[in-house]
Amino acid sequence: MTRRNLLQWLAALPIPALQVWAQTAMFPGEHGPLLSEIGAVVLPRELGRAGTDRVVEQFERHVREYRPGADTDHGYGVTRLRVKPASPAPAYLRQLASIKTPISAETIAAALDAAGVKELPRFAEGKHVAADLMAFYFHGSEANDLCYRAAIGRDQCRGLEGSDHPPASLKGMSG
Amino acid sequence: MTRHQSDVCVVGGGISAALLAQKLTELRPGLSIVVIEAGRRLFDLENRMEYRRRSTEYGENAWPGDYIPDQAAQGGISRTMAVGGQALHWGGTCNRFSEEDTRLKSMFGLAMDWPLEWNELERYCCEAERRLGVSGEPSPFAEDRRSEPYPMKEMVLSHNLLELQRWANQSGIPFQGIPQAKNTEPYDGRAQCIRCNTCLICPTGARYSPDFTFQQLLAAKKIQLHDQTLVRRLVMHDTKNIIVAAQAVNRQKPDESIEYRAPVFVLASGYTWSPHLLLLSRNARFPDGLANRSGLVGRYMAGHAFISAFIEVDAKIYPGMNETHSLISRQFFRSPQDKPFVRHDLRVWESNYGREPRLRDATGKVLLGDDLLADWRRRAQRGTARVRAYMDVHPDRDSSLTLDESAKNKWGDPLPKIEHRLAADTLARQSRVREHMLGVFQRLAKAGDGKILNISDGDYLDHPAGGCRMGAEPSTSVCDSYGHTHDHENLFVVGAPTLPTAGCTNGTLTFVALTLRSASRIAGQFPRS
Repeated sequence: MTRRNLLQWLAALPIPALQVWAQTAMFPGEHGPLLSEIGAVVLPRELGRAGTDRVVEQFERHVREYRPGADTDHGYGVTRLRVKPASPAPAYLRQLASIKTPISAETIAAALDAAGVKELPRFAEGKHVAADLMAFYFHGSEANDLCYRAAIGRDQCRGLEGSDHPPASLKGMSG
Repeated sequence: MTRHQSDVCVVGGGISAALLAQKLTELRPGLSIVVIEAGRRLFDLENRMEYRRRSTEYGENAWPGDYIPDQAAQGGISRTMAVGGQALHWGGTCNRFSEEDTRLKSMFGLAMDWPLEWNELERYCCEAERRLGVSGEPSPFAEDRRSEPYPMKEMVLSHNLLELQRWANQSGIPFQGIPQAKNTEPYDGRAQCIRCNTCLICPTGARYSPDFTFQQLLAAKKIQLHDQTLVRRLVMHDTKNIIVAAQAVNRQKPDESIEYRAPVFVLASGYTWSPHLLLLSRNARFPDGLANRSGLVGRYMAGHAFISAFIEVDAKIYPGMNETHSLISRQFFRSPQDKPFVRHDLRVWESNYGREPRLRDATGKVLLGDDLLADWRRRAQRGTARVRAYMDVHPDRDSSLTLDESAKNKWGDPLPKIEHRLAADTLARQSRVREHMLGVFQRLAKAGDGKILNISDGDYLDHPAGGCRMGAEPSTSVCDSYGHTHDHENLFVVGAPTLPTAGCTNGTLTFVALTLRSASRIAGQFPRS
């Protein structure tokens, strides 16, 4: 039995916790091409299709590595113990199964409206897979660089040398 | 029952405990020192890059396991309880207090004078800077003179901070880089900063945290560290006012009681847990708690109020270059004695406030892909500065830490409840101080063709301290300037709890400086071998 078959078998068992785990581990299942289509609409065209597909793959891995129940930061000033909620993967799979095709800006906007998504969440929360994919990318260091057309590298460890100068322009772009 | 005997029993495993233990081992080699910490030891530098990644990408706790679920203070500022304490994930800011902090009464008729001279404390600030490894540049103000240079050259200002400095200095208020316990060169066996932008979880060890000191001391077998061990009571001698034991429980072996015996006990548990333990340890002769004949244990809980603003500036800012580094002005550390008292620091950071990517435009229309990016780029044309001031406010006697009988840990001990209250004269000047702060923000904004986007008042007191305030008089203080309690000849309290007032800038350096001064006195309890 292959890993994929095993996960599909586990996902079919009538044990909710096991289903969620398996759906997370095999995300996005059969919906990979559809998620790629969504990525091509909700991510900047400047990335090119290869670029949006790369971001979608990173997002898929991000979902698979999600850890429900992990402690979140407990805050400073006003403190609170919280844990990461259940995996968003099952919700994503339902949303992907029900989204209208062919994918277009209009169908995505309608889906986000229907899901009541008002803003980009800071972290994936499962309201809608398109919003969480966008949040994953646009809150990231790479998008920050693209916005400013500069190699800021916010989330990288970059050394102090040269930081007193503006960051270099992204390749092929003027700052 | 398990019994441990040592020369010095240190309760608490944070930054004060680490540097106290380090200095004691230098002053009195061979002294047996036991450090007891309720939380875990998190000696896993090798995992911190991954913790950082999980924190950045998922919002997970960057310090997994750094708290105790049933051990929390109502009104406390942090849940962290682990070896290293809150300084595990501090920002490393090492700004100094100033002479005004130690002479509030004599200079301004406010609060009280500290029972030590600034010049003496300043020498211990230098020692603290050496031990922590502080990089900084001297203040331009003569009143901030130093007796020693910083141990390391200052951190280079990022392009963003240089832009913001140029902008802010146009207001006539001089700004400089903040001193920090971050290595601008390899220092004390730790690496140079490589600008990971996540100082709260430094993945390289370039930002000081006390776990490094503890590991050095343990590797050299200079101390014993008993973590996951909660001290529940201090026990007094039957007839003398000395402490004979600390009763504790190991959280991993809850059925086994532990007793620590030592000729000297030191509370280094911070502003919450030090007064809390004294109150918990009440007995027939000290029914209000140990060291509390003055009635001031758990009183005068201090901290500084703060106000923040986001100001749009005409500068090219690239958010994310070095978000944890900042500028500071010490211009307002002095309050003219012939004018109403207003005293505060002033900090400036890069920010992306108002320039984050957004899903919907002002009309509510959904923005996707290129539209979102274009909207973001349009709003990112100008920069934003985050500006914050810590204001010198003074605690009322009833600013308190009490035992909350309605909230107990699993051993049935009541937990602390902190309720900050400001002194009447502080309250009386609040509106005037706020008006002054708004004027400063406007002055900054105006200087650089800027616009104030948002102003918010802090809803807690930052860098809390107090609860065992020091003083010369036993009737109005808990301990002397060395943290030596007035009521018990072998009991010391060190660090944050001993401060009568909490100043107007980050307190950690001062907490450590006072602790190092205490260490000299504690060592004096033992003959040189």
